[in-house]
Amino acid sequence: MTRPAAVMDLPRRDAADKVRGRTLYTTDRVRPGVLHGAILRATVPAGVIRKLDVAPARAMPGVRAVATAADAPGMHGIGVADHPLFASDRVRYNGEPLVAVAADTEAQARAALEAILVEIELLPAVLTMEAALAPGAPIVHEGWKDYETLFEGGEREGNIAWVARVERGAVDAAFARPDARIVESVFRVGRQNQAPFEPRSALAEIRDGRVEIECSSQVPWTVRSVTARVLAIPESQVRVTVPPVGGGFGLKFDATIEPVAAVLARLTGRAVAVVNNRQEEMATCLCRENADIRIRSAIGPEGEILAREATVLMDAGAYGGEQVFLTTMTAHTLGGNYRLGAARLVTKAVYTNTPPNGAFRACNGVYNTFALERHTDEICAALGYERMEFRRRNVLGDGDLGATGQVFEGDVLGPMLARAEALRERTGSAKAKAGNRLYGRAVTVGTWFVFVGPSTSTVNLHADGSASVVTTGVEIGSGTMVQALPQIVAAELGLSPEKVAVRQADTDAGGLDMGVGGGRTTVSLGAASMAACAEVRRKLFDAAAELLQARPEELVLREGRVEVAARPGAGAPLTEVVAHAQARTGPVSGSGGFTRPGVPAMPGCAAGHFIDAIDIPVFCVHDAEVAVDPETGHVEVLSYNVVQDVGRALNPRAIRGQVQGGVVQGLGYALHEEITIDEEGRMRQVNFESYRIPLAGDAVPVALDLYEGAPSIGPLGAKGAGEVPILNVGAAIACAVADATGRKVSQLPLTPPRVLGLLRGRDPELRLDHV
Amino acid sequence: MTVTLRINGDLRSFATDPMRPLLDLLREDCLLTGAKSVCREGFCGACTVHLDGAPVPSCLVPVGLVGDREVTTIEGLGLAGEASDPLQQAFIAEDVVQCGMCFPGMVMSLGPFIAAHPGASAEEIRQAMTGNLCRCTGYERIVEAALTALGAPR
Ligand code: FES
Ligand code: FES
Repeated sequence: MTRPAAVMDLPRRDAADKVRGRTLYTTDRVRPGVLHGAILRATVPAGVIRKLDVAPARAMPGVRAVATAADAPGMHGIGVADHPLFASDRVRYNGEPLVAVAADTEAQARAALEAILVEIELLPAVLTMEAALAPGAPIVHEGWKDYETLFEGGEREGNIAWVARVERGAVDAAFARPDARIVESVFRVGRQNQAPFEPRSALAEIRDGRVEIECSSQVPWTVRSVTARVLAIPESQVRVTVPPVGGGFGLKFDATIEPVAAVLARLTGRAVAVVNNRQEEMATCLCRENADIRIRSAIGPEGEILAREATVLMDAGAYGGEQVFLTTMTAHTLGGNYRLGAARLVTKAVYTNTPPNGAFRACNGVYNTFALERHTDEICAALGYERMEFRRRNVLGDGDLGATGQVFEGDVLGPMLARAEALRERTGSAKAKAGNRLYGRAVTVGTWFVFVGPSTSTVNLHADGSASVVTTGVEIGSGTMVQALPQIVAAELGLSPEKVAVRQADTDAGGLDMGVGGGRTTVSLGAASMAACAEVRRKLFDAAAELLQARPEELVLREGRVEVAARPGAGAPLTEVVAHAQARTGPVSGSGGFTRPGVPAMPGCAAGHFIDAIDIPVFCVHDAEVAVDPETGHVEVLSYNVVQDVGRALNPRAIRGQVQGGVVQGLGYALHEEITIDEEGRMRQVNFESYRIPLAGDAVPVALDLYEGAPSIGPLGAKGAGEVPILNVGAAIACAVADATGRKVSQLPLTPPRVLGLLRGRDPELRLDHV
Repeated sequence: MTVTLRINGDLRSFATDPMRPLLDLLREDCLLTGAKSVCREGFCGACTVHLDGAPVPSCLVPVGLVGDREVTTIEGLGLAGEASDPLQQAFIAEDVVQCGMCFPGMVMSLGPFIAAHPGASAEEIRQAMTGNLCRCTGYERIVEAALTALGAPR
């Protein structure tokens, strides 16, 4: 295969401004004269609002507007509209917005919040999923039956916000086989905070009667639709623009404070900024959710997996949000990796009186992979299989069925395991560095997906031989908008990437887009842009055909010229062709759209699923070595190797950056990023002192082998590469620690006290009877 | 009260609370937004500026205590033209930057360190970065770029 012109290590065009402090993120755009918004939040986890007197706040100095639920009557949500912008009668979590104030300064706005008179009658709260599912438990949403359904098909009942089920094959019969050996495991994980450096921030104002919001978001179209819903105005009345975003990792996939800025702008007629401070940002973070998991497998005489059953409880917090959608993804993770004779997978998103959770890079795939890989090692330990051998025998291959009966194409995981072994041979083992500590190693596999879906792109080709690309894609740091997209468009039009300008996201300019996340940007925006370029080429070749006296099919684009393919040198400069077109038929532009093709699943297997099959599976193999200090319980990662399925690496150097960053974020999750909920239903870790994200000294250099050539419908065979590097870090570290200690590792993160507990057999084994 | 400061070479006076963090004065009054307000507690280093050439977290410095020390922000480094600092050049050339929020602080902290330690090792650079967090990059390539800036063999 020849290398497509789009493949290159294009440097980032935004780097020079970023290292010089010239990039203006949303937080840097709060100019003098802009009003400041601040939000009063509930300080109890559950209650009935008996009194909310905002009159004293209105009288405070500098106050320009006070907003309450009456100003934002609509409800939003995913699957079901369960979420108001401000609490009106019921409080469902500690930190829920009650009132917002706009004032001349932030200090005045915050002082005004203090003046508001609030009386909330406490109600019994359910702070854990166990409590929420207990018989007779208080119901978080009394009126759950009356909510508007936005997506049909999910079972709901009381504190169970959503259920997704998969059943394929004769599960009970497989478990009942006399020769089946059954292994069962339970797992528990806590929350993880995305902690992007730029907090959620929004600037709103009214222009020509419409609401305009500039914000730090991954999905401008979600901000547009949620704002319209909660304000009960038409979506056409909302415009959203997004400057460079200072990190998101999924946190900015949902709308939260943006509609608050919009409400205040409408009430004041002025520009209003709402910027979370770090404490607010962390206390109301839409974390990767905590979860409880039970997995059982029936293993046949040949070491094959006859059937697998699993139940996953995901804590949605007080509102369903992303967890409702993500219930779908359990099937594709726990039903991924290995060939299963039959599968029954049930996932429930559970309401609790805690802050709502959200999306975080590879979402529940991260802990489901941890659970699946640890369970796999428990199978091996119980039945005497060698771990690598068991994986080699059972990993998904060409023609195998996924959980919902989709047929996987190509042998990918098997060859990737072989590549992981070859990579280990090249890097060598770091075992000697363990010294007197306990040494462990693990190789884990992972299955995730590219979250495709609608994207739009318009490409304009100008008479000076440059092009501009208009989309609503956002640059959150992953580089897609400054690397992959200009690379693809330049290659399609025979330009150098410097000549391709990419417009910042603006919902008034670009068409619908599902946003940045789920590894989708390069794939969806890339494919839409290729379609747009196809139209540009068609128009260009029509014009050139006239100019060159040739047929359009004979023409090619080469280094800024339109040439007759068979006669190199015979042609005209692009500039001349575009000028000709401008004069004869009009300026040259093209638009393209893309959406998921919809890979077939087996009918009737899945219920409550938002997607029945994964359009682009992504696989990875992680190989970690650890040393565990038996005295302190400290885990040191000695080496870390990754083989990642990228389809086609469009910018290999940028992918390396994403993998290094994703793995280190995963090490934080595996080892020390811990969130606990106090008796008042608050997250205890709300700053960088108590919530420890990895420091430079915690990082390990990742050795990476990019696996190319696996089937993908992405442009030029690409797959998203930025989301998946975090997928099996928790799994690899947990399995390596289990290998080192000989103990069952059932929980993350593996903080020193938890590891010491394991080593000393101090903590009772995890049971999870409620799952 | 009135506070007079020398910022990036210019002498300027401000009517402000002397206890106000220097970071806020720079960002809000001077519109010098290169120093980022991330944790405001001294943990992340994103707000780092130089006082008489020495890196400090500007979120922890009350404006009243700056005195006659020269304040240099990221905007004041190599005032005109292209990014001339070898560290900035290495960050650009080696494609190290991601969201970029931590990078002004990284440049302000690491720049003086490598200038003072031309023979620094990777491990010493990691140590020197303890006060500068980054959520995106996983650090390794920042360390590698710093080694490049030092002209260290790799
Ligand atoms: S903002 Fe000053 S150290 Fe974080
Ligand atoms: S590049 Fe995003 S925080 Fe460092």
